[in-house]
Amino acid sequence: MTVLSVLAQLSGPPFESLPIDWHALAPEVVLLSVAVLITLVDSIGLERARPLMPGLAGLGLLGALIPVITLAVEGSDRVLFGGAYVVDDLSLLLKAVFLLSGYVIVLLSTNYIAEGDYWEGEYYNLLLFSLLGMVVMASARDLITIFVALELLSIPAYMLAAWRKGDRRSNEAGMKYLLMGVFASAVMLYGMSLVYGVTGTTLLEPIGLIFAEVGTASVITLGVIFVIIGFSFKVSAVPFHTWAPDTYEGAPTPVAAFLAVASKIAGFVALISLIYFGFLGQSDLIEPLLFILATLSMFVGNLIALRQTNIIRMLAYSGVAQAGFMLAPFAVAASDPETSLKAVVTYLVIYAAMNLGAFAVVIALARKTRSGEISSFGGAFQYAPALTVAMSVFLFSLAGIPPLGGWFAKFSVFAAVVNAGTTAGYVMAVIVAVNSVIALYYYAQVAKTMWMDPVPDGDMTPVGVPPSLGWAIVLTAALTLLFGVLPGLLGDVTDSFDLGHLELLAFPG
Amino acid sequence: METTFDLPANIAFGVIAVAIIVAAIRVVTTRNIVHAALWLVVVLGGVGAIYILLQAEFVAVVQYLVYIGAIVVLFLFGIMLTRAPLGEMLDLTNRTMRVGAIITAVILVTIMVFSVVDSFRDEEVDFIAYSGDVAAAQTFADLSAEEQETVLDEVAAIGAEGTDLGPVGRTETVSDSIFRDYLIPFEVISALLLAALIGAIVIARRD
Amino acid sequence: MPNPLNELLRQYLTVAIFAGLGLAMVGAMLGVGWLLRPDRPEPQKYINYESGVDPLGVMWSQSQIRYYVFALLFVLFDVEAVFIFPWATRLEAYGAFGLIEMAVFIFILALGLVYAWRKGVLRWV
Repeated sequence: MTVLSVLAQLSGPPFESLPIDWHALAPEVVLLSVAVLITLVDSIGLERARPLMPGLAGLGLLGALIPVITLAVEGSDRVLFGGAYVVDDLSLLLKAVFLLSGYVIVLLSTNYIAEGDYWEGEYYNLLLFSLLGMVVMASARDLITIFVALELLSIPAYMLAAWRKGDRRSNEAGMKYLLMGVFASAVMLYGMSLVYGVTGTTLLEPIGLIFAEVGTASVITLGVIFVIIGFSFKVSAVPFHTWAPDTYEGAPTPVAAFLAVASKIAGFVALISLIYFGFLGQSDLIEPLLFILATLSMFVGNLIALRQTNIIRMLAYSGVAQAGFMLAPFAVAASDPETSLKAVVTYLVIYAAMNLGAFAVVIALARKTRSGEISSFGGAFQYAPALTVAMSVFLFSLAGIPPLGGWFAKFSVFAAVVNAGTTAGYVMAVIVAVNSVIALYYYAQVAKTMWMDPVPDGDMTPVGVPPSLGWAIVLTAALTLLFGVLPGLLGDVTDSFDLGHLELLAFPG
Repeated sequence: METTFDLPANIAFGVIAVAIIVAAIRVVTTRNIVHAALWLVVVLGGVGAIYILLQAEFVAVVQYLVYIGAIVVLFLFGIMLTRAPLGEMLDLTNRTMRVGAIITAVILVTIMVFSVVDSFRDEEVDFIAYSGDVAAAQTFADLSAEEQETVLDEVAAIGAEGTDLGPVGRTETVSDSIFRDYLIPFEVISALLLAALIGAIVIARRD
Repeated sequence: MPNPLNELLRQYLTVAIFAGLGLAMVGAMLGVGWLLRPDRPEPQKYINYESGVDPLGVMWSQSQIRYYVFALLFVLFDVEAVFIFPWATRLEAYGAFGLIEMAVFIFILALGLVYAWRKGVLRWV
């Protein structure tokens, strides 16, 4: 008998680990390895390694996309850790969105961060860690996994917002984001602890079954409200949006794009998991709650966006309104779970492409104008026609004009709320329609400034767009057009979602 | 039904709870920010003692090791790093803020206490962690289909009640669930800590 | 059957008694000193002791940000210890699986130390 076997007998009951499906975890493993590699290269190479960083990060993100594609091609759903971690078509699509958004953010950052001398190694490192958190979030079906993923994606983001250390506004941006984010985490964690206290499990699937059986109880109500409020901060839904404009404005612009797109989508992914896999049985609670959040976000976001003179602040408030559009289908989550879930996912994917594109053009134009004021972009068509056309594509897509991607996104949301056939759904449809009109006004206003107004300082030198930035704009513009012209493309993917459980949770018995 | 939380435990809980409440009020009312941090130690220590009363020994150890050992150190460091005067600060709060804080606190406490008391009534947690049954903790997923049905039925019958899932307090059980059910969060936490350290170093560096 | 909760708490009674005795000892020592010592107050006695030199300025002073990194590293490895502790109680049962998982965990965290060292933030002066 060996020493080890004796010890094993003394150490209590035997332990059996759960099987680990390495193919299913490959995207996370690749991403983590690249982040670790960047830390090592940065630690060993110091200054010499700086030029390598953007390439390494970009390749790492594309590398992590390969297993996502092989998993999608193979097509079978993989359930790990007793249902805590699920790799299905839904989570793969979301992972691909995060990885591609991350890739575009790296493209946007390449010149901005190098020219500003902003700690390149650490910047891309934190970006990758944050994206790792998002990729984990896409598969998480368990309260603890969701929470840890949320912290991993948020904590680097707090610090990236304060990355321009010498600038007080960047410090303010990071500080506000940190305080609001930590407060939201605390509220959400308290809600999760109540949910766990009632159900005795952290897995969403049994929580969903128990919630569907039990009906209402005040502690469940409190827990669910706290969790949803926590994520409302993350997606900057009114009245939890106050940090967003200041943070976007003060943070480095690529980081603002990251927060407005990747981070916001991650919040929505968590909401999708929690609501459609866990809380659906509490329909009397979540439908009105999200109806209010969606309505407030659309109206407040749009009305304040009308008055903005700074393009980043305008995009921040438009992002609040866009969050409202994405929250709208949740208002009929239990009445028509399948259609509303698909509408939210469709909107998320298209929103990522068009909003990243808008930020990319702003970064390109600001290289010349050195200002975020909308008036400083006057007459951009005369010296940067291609950028102006691209910006118009993104703005009209955000407004929802056919045949651009945003049209299909808005249409899906509209169809989902009408399809539910509830009074709240019809009212929501009217609200969505009214807000689409309001939003068109301020998006068109920016386009008009760029096409028609005179150039403010008469400086007609063309804008030097670095290749990576140009590639980012081409990529996002192509995707925005593609989703609008061929909406069936995205429809085919969302139709392949396996959503059999939804009926069980929404309509028990 | 035999009650598990008997008189001595109730007395201990009462004493600790009062100490925590008094200390917590001092944290937010004292005018000296360093004293606030030290009162926080009392609050956190009291919470740790309550964890022991609840048989969550591991959580109690974590509470003492991380919160009192490390978080308070960071708090005090943070205070010492600021240029602000560290003595008494009279203009830290004003009347309006105080009234607002009291109203918010009262509303929040009312809602929380109501919902918890309303849902759980006089249900008691079964303290089976130290009753000699060392079998590994069961989670809902480990149960067979029929057992899951039973659990659901039980929960539905009693309304919102805690589900008894095994000896959850023991350190060994905690360890088993970390390495079995929560393996991904566990490894993700290492990435989280590394990212936090790297970011904090960049932000805190002097250049 | 004895109440299992009380079985556990009885063990902690020892801890409570020791803590109580410790506090009582401190009180007793100070109390005895207070009873026995002569009491002749003078203003000089109330000045902070700074090796015989009169203290300058206020007693609270701003400390250097560079020491903050040490506090951060302490927190990091404190949290690491929290995860190693439960793992150690079941070390043998996990075997190689547990060893690999913990090795990955520690490796990633150790990178933080390597990073801090290579970037020169660990220099005391």
